Amino acid sequence: MWSQIKQQLAESTARFLTRFASLLPGLAALIVALLISIVVGWVLAAVVRRLLSSMQFDARLARWGFPSVAEWSPMKSPTLLVSRAIAALVILTGFLIGIAAVDADWTTQLARSVVAYIPNMLGAALVLLVGSVIARFLARSVLIGAVNLNLHYARLLSLGVKWMVVVLTVAMALEHLRIAPGIVKLAFGILFGGIVITLALAVGLGSKDLVTKSLERDAQKASGDNLEEPFRHI
Amino acid sequence: MEVEPISEQAPEKIELVDSADLVVGVLAEFDQEGLAAVCDALRMLPGAPRVVVLEDDRAANPGQSKPEAAAPSASSCRVVRWPLSGSGTPDTPVVGMAAAYQSVFAASEKFGARACCVIVSKLETATPGWVRELAQPLVERDLDLVVPNYARRKFEGLLNSSIISPLMRCLYGKRIHNPMGPDLGISRRLFQKMLATERTAGGGVNRVHSFASVTPAALCENLQVCEVHLAARVYPPTDWMNISSLLAQILSPIFLDMERNAACWQRMRPSVSVPAVGEPLVVPQDTGTVDISRMMESFQLGVRDLQEIWGLVLPPSTLFELRKLARLSSEQFRMPDELWVRIVYDFALAHRLRTINRDHLLKSMTPLYLAWVSSYAHDLETAGRTALEERLERLSVAYESGKTYLVSRWRWPDRFNP
Repeated sequence: MWSQIKQQLAESTARFLTRFASLLPGLAALIVALLISIVVGWVLAAVVRRLLSSMQFDARLARWGFPSVAEWSPMKSPTLLVSRAIAALVILTGFLIGIAAVDADWTTQLARSVVAYIPNMLGAALVLLVGSVIARFLARSVLIGAVNLNLHYARLLSLGVKWMVVVLTVAMALEHLRIAPGIVKLAFGILFGGIVITLALAVGLGSKDLVTKSLERDAQKASGDNLEEPFRHI
Repeated sequence: MEVEPISEQAPEKIELVDSADLVVGVLAEFDQEGLAAVCDALRMLPGAPRVVVLEDDRAANPGQSKPEAAAPSASSCRVVRWPLSGSGTPDTPVVGMAAAYQSVFAASEKFGARACCVIVSKLETATPGWVRELAQPLVERDLDLVVPNYARRKFEGLLNSSIISPLMRCLYGKRIHNPMGPDLGISRRLFQKMLATERTAGGGVNRVHSFASVTPAALCENLQVCEVHLAARVYPPTDWMNISSLLAQILSPIFLDMERNAACWQRMRPSVSVPAVGEPLVVPQDTGTVDISRMMESFQLGVRDLQEIWGLVLPPSTLFELRKLARLSSEQFRMPDELWVRIVYDFALAHRLRTINRDHLLKSMTPLYLAWVSSYAHDLETAGRTALEERLERLSVAYESGKTYLVSRWRWPDRFNP
């Protein structure tokens, strides 16, 4: 009996050690791949950072009409964002190569699901980018137009329009990513509706003065009190 | 802006006219008697040139019995219905005006005219005979460009007084009071050049706006220019809802021309006067107080809300000065000419560099322009004609003094830091 137990124990230990020993090269390969990818990623990021800095990428990006990229970037530097994204990509590639060395099946499954998700990620990124550009453009248009109409709540209007577009964009991006679609729809409805009601209230309350002034002007015109405006601009 | 070939525009209207010495495009509202008076006046031109008057076919009253288009007669002046107003709407008068100029140039080319005139304005006291005064130097003295010098009221034509005239004087070195007319006389040499430039530039963002580009083109080519003293022009009342759009429409072609003619204006010397025809006419000036509260309010709102946009265009020192100005009461408010000139130059530069969307850029300038107008109105509230001339001369000198700043920033936009 005791000898049988000893034999089973020895066999299972041998099996475990054999399996572990067969995994060791793969694990070593994973660590080496990770180390190499970290070094390559770091070097590549440094090269890209230098290159982009020399061509004043941050200033150019703002001039090309994407100043909001700086707001999302680490230390407000799009150069840093790009270089770190490249480094992360290289390290991720190294990790996938390392995983393939451990078990090819895992990698195949992982790669398949990642590749299947890429179109969603690209779509969401595109939606976010376009939405951010449109939000900024509309916010500026509304701000300038409202200031030129002497509206005291110009900034509020502009912010409202910007956030309406941003909320719509984020909801669309999350829908693309298939992240909690039910919650996203509900949250979007509540947020969007809230912004619209806030804007309507703000504009309605803020317009009181405007309407009063307009009525006063009309009354003055009717009574002939108002002297004719002498300014002719164009 | 595309110009249709003449043959596609109104073939039935031109078939009876084969050639002309002078083409006059009339956009101004003249009734039939007025047009007849214009024709009578043009018949008196020396050398009895053959004149074709183009009447805008959209402006013509359909119910009115129209003079037969190009009726064959012994007369040396014929009236032809012609599409002059193009695609312009009341909100886009500049587009319509540019189309009218192009249309007149195309007709002049077709008729082989020696010169053409474009008549847009209604003058206060003059008879339609003033059109002859505009055309005469072209026919008699073979000049290339005749620009009007309207009798001036201090609060009229403010965009011209504050930006267009002093900027053109500083850039192109000629003291022209109304470089953008809009009533102009143009020689064959000049309108052919304009047509060629339009064909080359095409209809994209860099398209040529004929009426804004005529004077810079003539000055850069060293052509012969003269001014004609005319009566005061009747200006349309201010449309406060659209003032920023109009500002953008007018400044955009000027800034585009600055970009196009950079090599020319950077080598220009200090300004000189151009020959003038006729005697200056004097008009009475109002001396009552004026209400600038609306314009001041617009400026203060701009300082409060447009910092983010102005910060991309103006240097910190200018922004600081603007913030200081916004705190002043309307009685104390004065915007120094030097500050205003730098603002105009910085906006011209931002337009060239496309720092932000060009339409946003130019519209965001409106509160600053209104601030200058407020300051100017304060200065001249009770002033007469002499003070007006002195005030505008001071502004023009400020533009000329600031030209080194403009040239430096233009050449080294990133390096030059005032």
